[in-house]
Amino acid sequence: MADKVTWNFGEFLSARSVAGETIIELAKKYPNVWGITADQGGALKQFKKDFPERFIDVGIAEQNLSGIAAGLALEGNIPFIFGMIPFMSMRACEQNRTAICYQDLPVRFIGTGGGLTSGAGSTHNAMEDIGIMKSLVNMTVLSIGDPNMVRDIMLLSMTYPHPLYLRLAQGKQDRMLYEPGKYEFKVGMGLIAREGKDVTIFAHGEMVFEALEAANLLKEDGIDTRVVDMYSIKPLDKDLLFKCIKETGNILVLEDHLMDCGLASVISDACMDEGIYPRKFKRLGIPQIYAGFGSGEQLRKKYGYDKTAAAAAVKDMLK
Amino acid sequence: MADPKEVKRLQALAYDMRKKLITLTGYYEGIVHIGGDLSVTDLLIALYHYGMKVDPKNIKAPDRDRFLLSKGHAAVSMYMAMTLRGYFDYDTLMKTYGRLDSAFGEHPCKIQLPGVECSTGSLGQGLAIAVGMTFSARMKKEKHRVFCMMGDGETCEGEVWEAVNTAGSYKLGNLVGIVDRNKQMMTSFDGDYMNLEPYGDRWRAFNWNVIELDGHDMASIVDAIDQIPPITNPKPTVLIAHTTKGKGVSYMEHEINWHAGSLSKEDTEKALADIEANYAKLGGGK
Repeated sequence: MADKVTWNFGEFLSARSVAGETIIELAKKYPNVWGITADQGGALKQFKKDFPERFIDVGIAEQNLSGIAAGLALEGNIPFIFGMIPFMSMRACEQNRTAICYQDLPVRFIGTGGGLTSGAGSTHNAMEDIGIMKSLVNMTVLSIGDPNMVRDIMLLSMTYPHPLYLRLAQGKQDRMLYEPGKYEFKVGMGLIAREGKDVTIFAHGEMVFEALEAANLLKEDGIDTRVVDMYSIKPLDKDLLFKCIKETGNILVLEDHLMDCGLASVISDACMDEGIYPRKFKRLGIPQIYAGFGSGEQLRKKYGYDKTAAAAAVKDMLK
Repeated sequence: MADPKEVKRLQALAYDMRKKLITLTGYYEGIVHIGGDLSVTDLLIALYHYGMKVDPKNIKAPDRDRFLLSKGHAAVSMYMAMTLRGYFDYDTLMKTYGRLDSAFGEHPCKIQLPGVECSTGSLGQGLAIAVGMTFSARMKKEKHRVFCMMGDGETCEGEVWEAVNTAGSYKLGNLVGIVDRNKQMMTSFDGDYMNLEPYGDRWRAFNWNVIELDGHDMASIVDAIDQIPPITNPKPTVLIAHTTKGKGVSYMEHEINWHAGSLSKEDTEKALADIEANYAKLGGGK
């Protein structure tokens, strides 16, 4: 499987297709795995042929879908909801809370189009999802950039007894970051994607690649940048956070999400609560704005949270 | 046709349940959703004591019928019907209902109260969950039914019709909806602002099998339950039970103020006298 995949850093792979292949692998092994969608199940194209009795498409009705997921899970099943993030997180928000989280049911949300990557404008952009999902009691929030990680996380989810939200980036063209099989991923853990001693950039999702690019830019100026893939946003890897604060002093949080209710907020909450403060702290992400149209790359540049902006922010911080 | 002896037995249980609900409402300092509780009393008795295959001694039995109370604010009526069936202890229910750390809350919580199939209370959500449970039963080739009781008011919610659409489309014959059609919401009567008619046609249009009944006539309820087709039926079934909010208590019926309330000693006595008189009219009583 994954260890046989040819792999090159930074190459594109579709996270959706990894998810689509993985759910087939899981369904073969586990008779209680379901793939369900509200007319957003492109990744389930093969699954629905192989496992028609465990596939449900309810049409465009996300609230209903989350309710059905709860019903399936109440009967001992593990439903994977496939969909676009804004509708799964906002249209079905109360169902996610009351039908799923209140009853602490093992429903998996596989959401595509994280941040401003949809290209479809503000109706389809996903800027609030982490803020919404992390506020639901019992919900776990992971944000995944490297498409191969999706498989690892879906595999580990089979023994995870709580609701789990998996935020993917665009889902069609996602950059590979880690050699498959090299790292073990866990709920509540982060990963040092690049070592460094002057500053740490915390990122999640596709912004990890952007952070690594920023680190390369900073290297030219003699700045040694650590990059942490904080894929587990709730629960947060506080040990890793405080270790990085201790070792690099300065921290920058870079994310494709509203910057006042995503990872940066989680990190600043943790610092305040524990009384462990970075030397300097800076956050870059989506400001309070409906971003409009354009590609993810164009919008990151426009709103000042791409690699160039990140490198500039680090330099400013180290002045 | 319903067996008259069985109808008598169920009527006696419903009478007992009404008295106990009124007693609890009088005893409890807070408010109780007594209007809706009384409109589903006969239905819940018929379901828990006649229509559903359940065993209070084996609440996890895989072949048990599942019951979801989508109108979660009628929780106490479900607790009471279940108590009379042997699930819970009556004194504990009476003494702890609605209080700190009680398992018997104002809305049912499955984590706190084993025997409850699903936590509910936010209206309009139950049917979709029941649909999910029904899909599971069908995939596993289980023979039980999934029953979901809704208030007619909550069927103003869009999610209900999304679930109705799914159940009709997927031909979920093992799903039974029950609508407490009391034609009264919290603050208005059907027709004051929102008009739900033609109600049965709405369900029929989504390919449901519709059975209409008098939700306070025990023979009518038993007949309706008997008419539910086998689970292989290509349509889900909905029982539209015509009911009256506050049924059995003269000063509550057709009164908008009795969605929820508390009872003084005098209110309690008058309500109990009404229930006694109604039961006597059925040929029951002392």
